[in-house]
Amino acid sequence: MPLEVTIPENEVRRYMGFRGPVEGSPETDAMIKKAIASLEKDCSPRYVSKAFPVTVDGYKVEFADVVIESRALARNLAGCTECVLFAATAGPSCDMLVKRAAVTSSAYASCCQAAGAAAIEAYCDMINDKIRNEYEAKGLFARPRFSPGYGDLALAHQKDWFRLLDITKNTGVELTDSLLMVPTKSVTAVIGLSPNRLPCVKQGCEACTMASTCAFSRKG
Amino acid sequence: MTLKERLGKEWLFCDGGTGTILQEMGLKGGELPETWNLSRPDDIKSVARSYFEAGCNIVNTNTFGANSFKYNNLAEIVTAAVKICQEARHEAGRDDDAYVAIDIGPTGKLLAPMGDLPFNEAVKVFSETIKAGVEAGGDLVLIETMSDSYEAKAAVIAAHETCDLPVIVTTVYDESGKLLTGGSIEGTVAMLEGLRVDAIGVNCGFGPDKMIPIVERLARCCSLPIVVNPNAGLPRTEGNKTVFDVGPEEFSRVMKEIAAMGVQVMGGCCGTTPAHMKALIEAVSSLPFKEPVRKHGTYVTSSSECVEIGPKPVIIGERINPTGKKRFKQALRENDTDYILTEGLKQEEAGAHILDVNVGLPEIDEPSMMENIVYKLQSVTTLPLQLDSTDIEALDRGMRIYNGKPMINSVNGKRETIEAVMPLVAKYGGVLVGLPLDEEGIPETSDGRIRVAKKIYEAADEYGIPRDDIVIDGLAMTISSDSSSAVTTLDTVRRIRDEFGGHSILGVSNISFGLPARELINSHFLTMAMQNGLSCAIINPNNDHMMASYRAFCALMDKDPQCLGFINAYAEYKSDGTFGGASSGIAGTASSSSAGTAKLSLAEAIGRGVTGRAAEAMQEGISAGNEPLELINAELIPALDKVGKGFEKGTIFLPQLLMSADAAKAAFEVVKKSMEGKPRQVKGKVILATVKGDIHDIGKNIVKVMLENYGYDVIDLGKDVAPEIIVEAAIKDDVKVVGLSALMTTTVVSMEETIKLLREKKPDTKVVVGGAVMTQEYADQIGADAYSKDAMQTVRYCDEVFGV
Repeated sequence: MPLEVTIPENEVRRYMGFRGPVEGSPETDAMIKKAIASLEKDCSPRYVSKAFPVTVDGYKVEFADVVIESRALARNLAGCTECVLFAATAGPSCDMLVKRAAVTSSAYASCCQAAGAAAIEAYCDMINDKIRNEYEAKGLFARPRFSPGYGDLALAHQKDWFRLLDITKNTGVELTDSLLMVPTKSVTAVIGLSPNRLPCVKQGCEACTMASTCAFSRKG
Repeated sequence: MTLKERLGKEWLFCDGGTGTILQEMGLKGGELPETWNLSRPDDIKSVARSYFEAGCNIVNTNTFGANSFKYNNLAEIVTAAVKICQEARHEAGRDDDAYVAIDIGPTGKLLAPMGDLPFNEAVKVFSETIKAGVEAGGDLVLIETMSDSYEAKAAVIAAHETCDLPVIVTTVYDESGKLLTGGSIEGTVAMLEGLRVDAIGVNCGFGPDKMIPIVERLARCCSLPIVVNPNAGLPRTEGNKTVFDVGPEEFSRVMKEIAAMGVQVMGGCCGTTPAHMKALIEAVSSLPFKEPVRKHGTYVTSSSECVEIGPKPVIIGERINPTGKKRFKQALRENDTDYILTEGLKQEEAGAHILDVNVGLPEIDEPSMMENIVYKLQSVTTLPLQLDSTDIEALDRGMRIYNGKPMINSVNGKRETIEAVMPLVAKYGGVLVGLPLDEEGIPETSDGRIRVAKKIYEAADEYGIPRDDIVIDGLAMTISSDSSSAVTTLDTVRRIRDEFGGHSILGVSNISFGLPARELINSHFLTMAMQNGLSCAIINPNNDHMMASYRAFCALMDKDPQCLGFINAYAEYKSDGTFGGASSGIAGTASSSSAGTAKLSLAEAIGRGVTGRAAEAMQEGISAGNEPLELINAELIPALDKVGKGFEKGTIFLPQLLMSADAAKAAFEVVKKSMEGKPRQVKGKVILATVKGDIHDIGKNIVKVMLENYGYDVIDLGKDVAPEIIVEAAIKDDVKVVGLSALMTTTVVSMEETIKLLREKKPDTKVVVGGAVMTQEYADQIGADAYSKDAMQTVRYCDEVFGV
């Protein structure tokens, strides 16, 4: 099953550390294009999502049977009445592609690695849009998605996502003891839904507290 | 009558959902259902009893998630579950015709290489649960809801090694008929039939209507009784509750339809209730029953591929084999798995369907090597493998951890070999190559070979191995010593097809041994053999002539729809005989022949990252009489240094740096080849690892390449590596320097732990650390011996430590 979205080439370059207007060599250009094509063809993306009523009280966020203390998440979900939890993965073939490339060429492996990261992000954007449109029709407006491990939302909450969405059974993604996901190109997130439309809020790198030091931050 | 006698002879019914009913009864999110076996046994019993009363013949114990990862008191939990189910059966008055199934679900962990649970560890975990269930008196093992065929294999082996009870396996497919890990219905069935389970089926996933196309495909390929246990439709959330929409009536109506498709066992899964089962049993039991029919197909599979032998010739790549290859032998001795894997990947790109794996060398531990290479190959390619060895232990270990149903090379007509190899195939499953030679030697006539082939087929019968899973070798032997040998071989191949309806295989290139222009003889012989019915050709797919014969044959014999395969391969064919696109380079090295790079010097080629030219330039330098080491010092290293400095300054970006590293590696490979047989100058051994919790290993990989280029043997332990593993490796090889990398502040803690453990267990080893968040100050704080801000600094540090 191929990836249902296109992988933006400029994002792949960003993940590879290209900054500003760089003249890539024809060799690197070809390699990046090849990685994108393989990823788009071989990915087997899957996702699972579920909606829950949510309450926010101070820094305390509650949904299903979960109580989370997080300033950043509470700010993100302020005013929301519902939230959608989701988990998405680009699938196991993506990891295999990287491993496979690493045998013969670390340069090509890094292209695949970056293309995989861009692939899962693009796939999540697609799911995000789907959820946003679905709820807008019902008069609920989506907030930017927020993930465990982001800001002060503890990574340990991955366990709640895995339990509530039965992620392993539904998508084949496993949570390791060190709270990493396998296949590696996987994302868990929550999207808050509010009856009030907010003005365009900051999201992604612009909202992150690490933006000034992060090597992969979007700049310019 | 026993369950084994009844399976496939009459309608049998499984139970429905348990988890969903327990939730109704108050099971909380996060609460483990199996704890109720001890805390609320009466509730568990009432569920089981209602299924027995509804008429189900096979009712599961409440042990779906019971394994030693989750329970310290596993035996107690499982024993209680079996006892409860037995009591429920007794109370329902069903002691005579119903069975207690030891229910086995997935471990929840992904198996290595995809995840981190080693295959044999998974077998052990399943064995513990099954053993407790068997000792408590379970009647069968029901392995269900498997979404990875590899994990299913581990569970089946565990069951067979623990008991003689019947084993049923059901898996979860998506709507396209794929497992979460990519396996197909046909491939999964082939693997499970090879493992000799007693029934195969499908459960969970979705409701009965969506299972119809899956059951259709299952019924087409499966020779065993088929089990169908759907959900009551797709789960839906209402508030905080999960609900299912398909009621008993609708459920049984669709199941009635499915019953007519050649299914023998039916039941339900999530959302189905005793009422669903009662309706199902009423609807189906009076319908005509069809016994399973033996299907004739020969499949070789991997995690996600399924190659059918028969419809058109199959190409088996022969290059993973040390015979007559110095460089390959060296790779085996040095445990240089990347070289071996590259040989495999090249053949895949050239068009091989299956890879032969022969890693036998007198001075190495072949069983360990076979296991290791099978594992590593299966982590980078989905092509099925042919395990090729005369060492029975090597075959055993390779077959055990193999993901799928492999090909096995080989058995012959000698009783001793039959008795050694066939039990392995009977246990693990596989398509077995049979050489028609025996105690009397190699028969010189096709009559003689057919006689031995018959003996091999009969031996297979004896071991219960289906004749479909036997492929007879026609024994290609050089025409340079016996000019009639090709005729005999071709006769044998044809007669295998005509007289047994069987499949054949040839090591094609043996035919030309001792002759010049071997590829001419080989490729024509291949065409002739295929015309005589050859099913599998063991060849070098990197050879253009061989692949040309194969592609032309397929195009001519209507085995290449619209000639698309042929057209794609030869779009750039030149009439002067160059093959153009047919032999394009391996992944990522496509730049090797780009125009305008032909005259680059070694340094320039490395600077620009032109892999092919770098190797060529190094070769030219060596051929011109230069010392390889001189070329490395004068050209290779300065070129890499220049790129490295550019990277530091930000004028060169990571991919370019890596391409240069690749080019340097390719040039280095040429040096390695030129020093074949000569003792290699190794400065020392260094361990590299990205610490536990961290998966960002790009930096570590750069350091690895640099260290290797500067003459170090690098033991690369990978990423997310636990402190214990690093320490163990350091002790095992008495390694003087360990390099640790971490990208995230959060994982520096693991770095500190690793250093602590090293100090404790291996105090004389030096630790050098690096990574994006690392600073000299940080390194001092966590007790490292050195901080390196880049790869070159690591090299310099190692030179210092090793005094070179």
